[in-house]
Amino acid sequence: MKRPSRLAAPLVTLLLLSLYLLTGVALAETVFVQSKTAKLRSGKTSLDSVVADLKFGEPLEVLSKEGNWLAVQTARGAKGWIFAGKTTPTKPAGSEDDVLAKLGKSFRRTEAGDVTASAGARGLDKVSEGYANRVGITQQHRDAIDRMAAYRINDQEVEDFLKQGGLGEYAK
Amino acid sequence: MNMRSKFPRALTLALSLVTFSTWSGCAEIQQIAEESARRSGDERMAKIIHGSGTVVSGLLPISYEEEQSIGAAIALQVVARYGGVYDQPEITRYVNLVGRAVALTCDRPDIPYHFAVLNSDSINAFAAPAGYVFVTRGLLKQIRNEAELAAVLGHEIAHVSQKHILEVIQRSKRLAGVSEAGLAYAHQNPDVFKNLIDAAAKKLLDEGLDQEKELEGDSLGEVFAARVGYDPTAYVVLLNRLRVLKGDDKAFFKTHPNFSNRINAVQQVIQTHGWKPTGVLLENRFARLRGKI
Repeated sequence: MKRPSRLAAPLVTLLLLSLYLLTGVALAETVFVQSKTAKLRSGKTSLDSVVADLKFGEPLEVLSKEGNWLAVQTARGAKGWIFAGKTTPTKPAGSEDDVLAKLGKSFRRTEAGDVTASAGARGLDKVSEGYANRVGITQQHRDAIDRMAAYRINDQEVEDFLKQGGLGEYAK
Repeated sequence: MNMRSKFPRALTLALSLVTFSTWSGCAEIQQIAEESARRSGDERMAKIIHGSGTVVSGLLPISYEEEQSIGAAIALQVVARYGGVYDQPEITRYVNLVGRAVALTCDRPDIPYHFAVLNSDSINAFAAPAGYVFVTRGLLKQIRNEAELAAVLGHEIAHVSQKHILEVIQRSKRLAGVSEAGLAYAHQNPDVFKNLIDAAAKKLLDEGLDQEKELEGDSLGEVFAARVGYDPTAYVVLLNRLRVLKGDDKAFFKTHPNFSNRINAVQQVIQTHGWKPTGVLLENRFARLRGKI
């Protein structure tokens, strides 16, 4: 009778390990950060300390769920809680499209030489200013668009506003 | 006689370079190929390579920098046609805070969004590319709480995040046989650029976006506001109030689907997510500013 190969045991172990890992992967749920600002906290309230600042579109592995909060692990291995409203089950759209948009601009710029927009703090650049001249938009309306674009509210002010209103992760 | 002429070899090389430059994203390579063809005295080939780049650029989406120029130009038309911007510092700040809170959780949160109130009694709201969002005083007067305002701003933010108006521009330029609409083009052909902006402004302000875009705006606006934590049923209450107020106003429905369809779309979203009323309306915070509208 032929003796079983010496490789049989390690192979069976490897097969079982692969099955375990595959099953594990299939069971793990991944969500993505769906907010410009999102914090990974040490507990499931907005009062718990911040473990890490998360980036828009960052994938997170869901470890468990409790109410409006998810226990997650980042790709870098950081574990903590995130408000579920700041996540989405599908990868947020936009990045691929933006790459194409940049490519399009690159081609168009080649034809244009060094024409640039001076958006900066102003709303109107040379192109929109040129349009305003052609259609006779008043200075008052041009100033309004400039003021609108220059109006600044930082992310912290928005965060304070949410907190004051008991919104999102600050819900009472 | 040598059957392999110089032209097919040059053609193959040049087209390969153009193809490579297309996929690699290096417009410079296209430029090198074009110059090389010109230097070798093959002006026809230089034009073919140049044309390939133009065709490619026409097919690619508009960049954010270009979107800013287009957005500002359309925003100028909105402000000019709707009584200018209503400058009341507390209301401006409040609308910007609510709008930016909603924009943080939209599908395109990485661009700045700007919010302003239009000094008009008509009941409406608009968005221009690159994040310009407007709501009229007339609509603000109909709103009863912050959750309703958040949904209205969410609807407009969705038009920006889904690039609905840029699609109109892309379609118009195709119809006009124009392969570009960017900054370069605007400088070289200001009249055509003006026509494209005028056509987009007409579509936005007079004819209205396609109904499916408006319904998508309603659905996504509902989702964005709910993500922030506002009561998901608030938008339905507002749309019902406007339905009673506007009835079958033909002028209004020229630019929007009828309210029954809009309410159905929003209720469908609520049902899909299994959302229930939460009572997070923030009526008091909104009421503090009502006297100033």
